[in-house]
Amino acid sequence: MVPPVAIVGMSVLLPGAPDLASYWRNLAGGVDAITEVPPGKWDDTHYAPGEQRRADRVYCRRGGFVDELAEVDVTGFGIMPNSVPATEPDQLIALRVAAQAVADAGGPDRLPADRAKVGVVLGRGGYLTPGLVRLDQRVRTASQLVRTLGELLPGLDADRLDAVRQAFTDQLGPEAPESAIGLVPNLAASRLANRLDLRGPAYTVDAACASSLIAVDHAVRELATGRCDVVLAGGVHHCHDITFWSVFTQLGALSPSERIRPFHRDADGVLIGEGTGVVVLKRLADAQRDGDRVYAVITGTGIASDGRTASLASPDSGGQVRAVRQAWAAAGLDPAAPDSIGLLEAHGTATPAGDAAELATLAAVFGTEGSAVLGSVKSMIGHTMPAAGIAGLVKAALAVHHGVLLPTLHCDDPHPALASTRFSTLDAAAPWDAPVRRAGVNAFGFGGINAHVVLEQAPGRAKPVAVREPERVLRLAAPTVDALREAFDRAGTRETGDGPVRLGIVDPTEKRLALARKVLARGRAWRGRNDVWFADRPLLGPGGGKVAFLFPGLESELTLNCGDLARHFGLPWKHADVEVGDVGRQGAAVFELGRLLHAALGRIGVTPDAVAGHSLGEWTAMAVAGVHAEEEVDTFLAGFDPDALVVPGLAFAAIGAPAARVLEELAGRADVVLSHDNSPNQAMICGPEAAVGALVQRFRDAGIVAQVLPFRSGFHTPMLRPYLDPIRAAAERFTLHPPSLPLWSATTVSEYPAAEAEVRELFVRHLLEPVRFRPLVRAMHDAGFRAFVQAGAGQLGSLVGDTLHGEDHLVVAAHSGQRPGLAQLRRVATALWADGLDVGFEHLPGERPAAPKAVKLDLGGRLISLDEQVRARIALPAAPRSTVDDLAAKGPLAAEFAALLADTAELASTVLAGPARRLPAPRELDTTLPVSLETMPYLLDHCFFKQPPQADPGDRWPVVPATTVIDHLMRFAEQAAPGRHAVAVHDVRLSQWITAVPGVTVPVRVRPQGTHRVLATLAGYSQAVVELAPEYPAGAPAPWRFPASAERAPETTAAQLYDERWMFHGPRFQGVTELTAVGERHVRAVLTTPAAPGALLDNVGQVLGYWIMSRLPERTTVFPVAMREIRFHGPHPAPGERLECLVRITGLTEEFLDADMQLVHNGAVWAEFTGWRDRRFDSTAHIRQADRTPERSTLSVEQPGGWALVREQWPDLATRELIMRNYLAGPERDAYERRPPRGRRQWLLGRIAAKDAIRQFLWARGEPEMFPAELRIGNDEAGRPFATGAYGRDLPPVTVSVAHRAEAGVSIARHGPCGIDIEEVVPRAESTVEAALGPGELALFASLPGDPEQWFARFWTAKEAVAKLRGTGLRGEPRDFEVVAAAPEEMTVRVAGREYRVCCADVENPSGAPPRRYVVAWTEETKETAG
Amino acid sequence: MSIETTATDEATVLAQLSGMLRELLEEYGLDDAEITMDTTFHDDLELESVDLVALSGQLREHYGDRVNFATFIAERDLDEIIALTVGELVRYTVASLRATA
Repeated sequence: MVPPVAIVGMSVLLPGAPDLASYWRNLAGGVDAITEVPPGKWDDTHYAPGEQRRADRVYCRRGGFVDELAEVDVTGFGIMPNSVPATEPDQLIALRVAAQAVADAGGPDRLPADRAKVGVVLGRGGYLTPGLVRLDQRVRTASQLVRTLGELLPGLDADRLDAVRQAFTDQLGPEAPESAIGLVPNLAASRLANRLDLRGPAYTVDAACASSLIAVDHAVRELATGRCDVVLAGGVHHCHDITFWSVFTQLGALSPSERIRPFHRDADGVLIGEGTGVVVLKRLADAQRDGDRVYAVITGTGIASDGRTASLASPDSGGQVRAVRQAWAAAGLDPAAPDSIGLLEAHGTATPAGDAAELATLAAVFGTEGSAVLGSVKSMIGHTMPAAGIAGLVKAALAVHHGVLLPTLHCDDPHPALASTRFSTLDAAAPWDAPVRRAGVNAFGFGGINAHVVLEQAPGRAKPVAVREPERVLRLAAPTVDALREAFDRAGTRETGDGPVRLGIVDPTEKRLALARKVLARGRAWRGRNDVWFADRPLLGPGGGKVAFLFPGLESELTLNCGDLARHFGLPWKHADVEVGDVGRQGAAVFELGRLLHAALGRIGVTPDAVAGHSLGEWTAMAVAGVHAEEEVDTFLAGFDPDALVVPGLAFAAIGAPAARVLEELAGRADVVLSHDNSPNQAMICGPEAAVGALVQRFRDAGIVAQVLPFRSGFHTPMLRPYLDPIRAAAERFTLHPPSLPLWSATTVSEYPAAEAEVRELFVRHLLEPVRFRPLVRAMHDAGFRAFVQAGAGQLGSLVGDTLHGEDHLVVAAHSGQRPGLAQLRRVATALWADGLDVGFEHLPGERPAAPKAVKLDLGGRLISLDEQVRARIALPAAPRSTVDDLAAKGPLAAEFAALLADTAELASTVLAGPARRLPAPRELDTTLPVSLETMPYLLDHCFFKQPPQADPGDRWPVVPATTVIDHLMRFAEQAAPGRHAVAVHDVRLSQWITAVPGVTVPVRVRPQGTHRVLATLAGYSQAVVELAPEYPAGAPAPWRFPASAERAPETTAAQLYDERWMFHGPRFQGVTELTAVGERHVRAVLTTPAAPGALLDNVGQVLGYWIMSRLPERTTVFPVAMREIRFHGPHPAPGERLECLVRITGLTEEFLDADMQLVHNGAVWAEFTGWRDRRFDSTAHIRQADRTPERSTLSVEQPGGWALVREQWPDLATRELIMRNYLAGPERDAYERRPPRGRRQWLLGRIAAKDAIRQFLWARGEPEMFPAELRIGNDEAGRPFATGAYGRDLPPVTVSVAHRAEAGVSIARHGPCGIDIEEVVPRAESTVEAALGPGELALFASLPGDPEQWFARFWTAKEAVAKLRGTGLRGEPRDFEVVAAAPEEMTVRVAGREYRVCCADVENPSGAPPRRYVVAWTEETKETAG
Repeated sequence: MSIETTATDEATVLAQLSGMLRELLEEYGLDDAEITMDTTFHDDLELESVDLVALSGQLREHYGDRVNFATFIAERDLDEIIALTVGELVRYTVASLRATA
């Protein structure tokens, strides 16, 4: 049996996903990362879909590409940037992804120290990869070229031919023989092993598309045999060479329709992708022992081949079945059991044969009982070949870990064979509810090699993700405290800044930032509490204070935690991170810890201005100061006998009182003496056990804290004298050197003497006289020392703090039992920096001096082109010998005739050629686009919201339409390529709306992509690839025709679209003149070109929006998010021109609406749109109504009894944003943003309910129409809500009360006091019930028939409602509000002698929301409460 | 209701101890931290052993000889002292006050 294997770290680089987090987002969001081949990757002539098949012709050019994402910080990996071009890119990508995976698993420090137990196995194919392609071009193609030219043009001499070869290979860059190793394929794994110092197995495996899972199987076996403790496994494939595509074209495997739709009925082939993925695997038992975060557990793997089958190229179900069964058997599970599996990540290549075989396999192995989800990530990223298995494995592991079932794209009409299995596909992510979440992953490779892996969720509760990366340090410096405050408050401050006033926070959590804010407000120095350091004036550096290292002596318990420090800086350290309880053995450890910390601090640029020690720590100080040579100290420690530190019968005690007081108590006796004067609140005594014990008791009786300590050494007392000789003898053997830095003595409270003899004498005195630590610290402070670094374990720092209490000083410990050494060192660095010292942060992990310089990798296999100058230089003869030339050789008359013919020919060709248009290549362009109502006044007609006329324009929310953005991108592209028109736009992406209020200036970037395309970007908002040409292309397609039977007349007219606000557009965007016809999957309209930029195309979107509104009841609010291609066949029509708009729906899911369109001008297609994608937002008919006529509709529904109930029917964040902006005006939106995220939704519901309740109340009393923005709801100091009018609206006096719970908000408005509350009906603990209800109420409560939970809710809401009406709240005394009568719809509450009647109602969440029941209670209007 | 100034119930003692702790914490700016019976001296309030000595002084000032903090922590070892809660001290104080009333 193979032990279960845990996946403890993962990372990927896949199309659309540069890292794991973005991969997860794409998976859950159903993102389609397929694009066209990036321009320049192949020669355009290879794409010839209509032509006759040939090896060099492909009929498909869409796939999954990572060119834009392929960046690697090579210097961070110790690789010279100039060796990159010669290196196979997949090796560098594998390095990057593996390093990320290791970091995800906790960092290289968490790998086993014995690196022979760590291995790496990567799946990788033997295809022609970019590095080898370049080498082949350099070696073979150059030679071939020269040979062929020589054969065809014998007139060329050797020099010319050589010039050709040179010119050709020059285009590939200089030769780099030292980097040739970078072309050896298995280095994808070995380079990794080299870099991370992995000494276990490191190799690649090739099983075509099954390679990754084969690699995982190898890893599992290495872990099972115990040869390895950790294995990195995965797959890497970056090969889009035209030869690879040619193979797939010849096999006919590529999709002619250029789509990959796994398990779709009409799936017609594969699209090729590329990528890399690496996972970190450990035996589950080890992962649990080490406290790792486990994504999923691999419980079984299976591998089997098809054997002899009909054809090498066709998949066979038999081999697949065997592999899957083998894996499930290894996991000890029955795959056909109804609850066996929740998610199957299929191989799913979308070839008819592949899908059919796989579905047969699934039916055979998993049976038909139970239900499960089937998926294939190939629908999103293409077929990543040897990396397909790992892409699927990571997807399945993420799904299992997050408990989310993932969608598969484009499967709207599933393969019929799917029905015979228990599987179905999802088109959107869904929660995964199962007792045990289990998944399977298939990978089937060419030639019939099949693999399957079974995964399940990690056992136990999901641990909160421990923060693995090194902690962040926030550092800010400024010239004044005010400037620092400003920098702190400025969101997104990246620069540290400069100046003497400094703030440092380690791991800046919300809590620490809040504390820092308070500290800054006080303006006084704050040193260290809660890992915050602030100095308004530096003590060190410019402040002139000095730094001292203090070395502690022995502690009663010592917890070492500095292994990571030693490893990071490469310093020697042989102790394990454990507790050293035995005082005797501690000595050496304490000593070495002090030296380690001193060395580590030195590495980050912190050196002491003096050293000193406490008790035995003074020896460490001596060694660090160089008084004793390192080797002598090491020898001494090696031979150190801990039992030498015992004087029998003696004990020490620590007393919580000043030394003077202790001496008083000792009153001159000789048996017990003062051994340490540590601080104003601590002194130590030493003497015979019994006497010390008695004294401790005396002190305690007097109320003074006292504790016996476990040391027996007798140091620092005269009692040691008889035992002194062995120690003195050992010390005499030391050679003494003058100290290399000031060394202070705690015996004399001054610096050590210079003379050798005096040093030896002081060494002895130190052992016999008390440690006068407190006076030492005082003296050092007087001598100008301001920072004290505790270079070891224990509480020495707090003694210093106690002594220097009230004076300016900084104390920080360089070692802590609570966190590892590097983390503590980070704090020391921050503390010292904050007080003015220059510290080398770049030597700590996680800190970089500047942004890492990532090098872009070249994944292309471009054909080589020689530029003009080179061609001119080589100047091969242009024309071949012709009959004219032959003629010329035949005699003088013939020669003259030949010359005449040649002249004529030349003249003719000049006339015919015409002026050569020499257009420059597009250039780079960086500029800005100012967006505001001033620069784009037409935006006032593109506002989402209707608001009262006197409202701020910002409340109407003017937004730049997507098509206007595209229009601007096209214009900028044209600016970068003068003389050319923008004739097409590709891969438009719209990520964020551009709001015009407040105005914003958007950076614009245009970057050429080849000779006639540019990538135009509005940073942060959108981008598109714009194709440019001198002329508009001819060859427009014919306009579409729809059969009359498929359409009917629309029910809405174009005028109604705008008058009734089905579309929010104002006059300058109202271009729909006629809605002509609408059908199941299409709509036709007539547009009149408006003048505003982008407005004509925006109207195309409006027509699409009309289609969905007219056909579907819900989620009909749509906005464009992407467009695959827009192509223009002429210049933009002039304003006023009429065009026909034809829209064909190509896809409709819960989340998206896809369509293709044509704009027809004068009978010819002027513009074609392909792949226009709108995103659908939550909206019901009710919500739409509120949106169209906000001045007289409410989102809330008025309830019998006169109160408003609003339900949250918009869990989608973007829709919530829309609703929020509709209801909340200017300052209210700011208040919304400032609210903490938790509870924000409920607060919004409360506000909506309040505004609606007031409006409903006033409308019933004859008030005219009122927009929500004309009301403002505030809360007084007691928290009670109140309403005021805005934008000139005067409100009559009205009182409002609000409550909210989960997905419901309620409110009531009256002229006089009122109260309302809502509570969910849930089980309550008995203690809660008893705390809320008094004895009388409990009796009443017990007597009521029916559901007690519901009654409790009624009791509670009734109390609350009355408490709110009275304006006091419950004040923590619910029993003061006594329920004296209770009925399902009415309650009576007595408080302070008065009785109040309260009405109740039961409410439920609608379907679609989580099932909940609530009770709502509101006060009834009586004579007293009515106004 | 009693009009004694030194009532011996937990709530009163908690309030008194909280006051002392706030004085101690005031200069650290943590005086607005929430102090309940479950608050720990070390983890929540970040007091170190030296601070506890100061606290014992305040206790003596307020309660005189009736409450002996030294005895309170005498029996405990380091781990226990680190995990001490305000509640334990409150209960000890109440018991001491009642015993010496």
